[in-house]
Amino acid sequence: MNDGKPRVVIVPCSGIGKAFGSVAREAGYELCDELRPNTTRLVALSKLVLGDEQARARVRQCPAITIDGCKLLCAAKLVKHNGGTIAREVAVLDAYRQHKEFKPDGIAELNAHGRQLARIMAEEIAEVVDELGRHAPSGGNHA
Amino acid sequence: MPSLPERKVGIVACSGEEIAEGTVTRLAALKVLHELRRGETVTICLPLFLAGGEGDRAFAKFHPTITVDGCDLKCAAHGTETYSGKPAASIVVSEIAAEHGIAGIEGRRCLNQAGQKAVELVAERLAALVDQLLGKRERPDAGASVETPAASVDSGVVGCSCGSGIPVKVLTIAGQSVEVVALPLIFDKLREARRVPSEAVAQDLLEMVKVYNYVRPETEASWREVLLREFAAHCERELSR
Repeated sequence: MNDGKPRVVIVPCSGIGKAFGSVAREAGYELCDELRPNTTRLVALSKLVLGDEQARARVRQCPAITIDGCKLLCAAKLVKHNGGTIAREVAVLDAYRQHKEFKPDGIAELNAHGRQLARIMAEEIAEVVDELGRHAPSGGNHA
Repeated sequence: MPSLPERKVGIVACSGEEIAEGTVTRLAALKVLHELRRGETVTICLPLFLAGGEGDRAFAKFHPTITVDGCDLKCAAHGTETYSGKPAASIVVSEIAAEHGIAGIEGRRCLNQAGQKAVELVAERLAALVDQLLGKRERPDAGASVETPAASVDSGVVGCSCGSGIPVKVLTIAGQSVEVVALPLIFDKLREARRVPSEAVAQDLLEMVKVYNYVRPETEASWREVLLREFAAHCERELSR
């Protein structure tokens, strides 16, 4: 339950050329499907490219956490471009620097290290989601 | 005359994270890039058309591009056309699935059997369209019309264009500011062939530029003049290095 509080919007990058992009996607799924399914909502980055009204409304009305796979920061840039407020920008490269024992490999199918890195990131982001939830007013707009 | 700058077929997947069909687009595109048409295809992350630079936005002008979308929002097709260039062909997973009687695609994180079957079918459709665009192994059953003529290819590695960009140069031609796609590559090719600025080179230059850029027939003389001048300046800069 989220007690009527707005969900936190999670926007992973759509990186298709490097394993770090797959880690971002996997972390988003781990967070939204497993760790915090009731307090988060995944928004597809492609919809923000299109300027889809529903996606734009979600990033404008709810706090957003972006997960980017490379220094080009597409997810963060697109949320800002669509008028959203980013509560936290997360970068896979930063997480990897802190956990160099988990070197991601594979794009279509991440290796075990990549999945572990995604899990660690999701757990860290879950704490941010919880923190945002504690400070969010009840009865706001729902994503 | 030197060979033209190598051009591959671009594949842009929506990768939509919210639905399983988005995962199908991603995996089908990767299957074509890595297995079915390795060395003949290249990709770019869709968001880079907005978040990247002008080189990224030139992607679909440089590469004949196939977009693959998960649903009828067609984010990849519309996004590519709006920010980069008109795709040569566009396909939608939900339509291909319906054509083949595949229902119940699920598992955005880990596709079910229907999703995996859809990946195979979409990848085959993409590969057939790549062949059409490259003018070889023509297959009449590709299922979507294509609009670009043949291009040369190589057998290089899997191509991700993220952040690398297609080189462009902005010129003023016939009083208009024009973004000329691939011009730096074309200059390099001519120099590699030891060509020097001349009237003959001006015509070759124009023909090469026209492969990647639309040139209105009535402006060709202006283009030829400006291109020759720019090539001469490029050669001088290179010599003074």
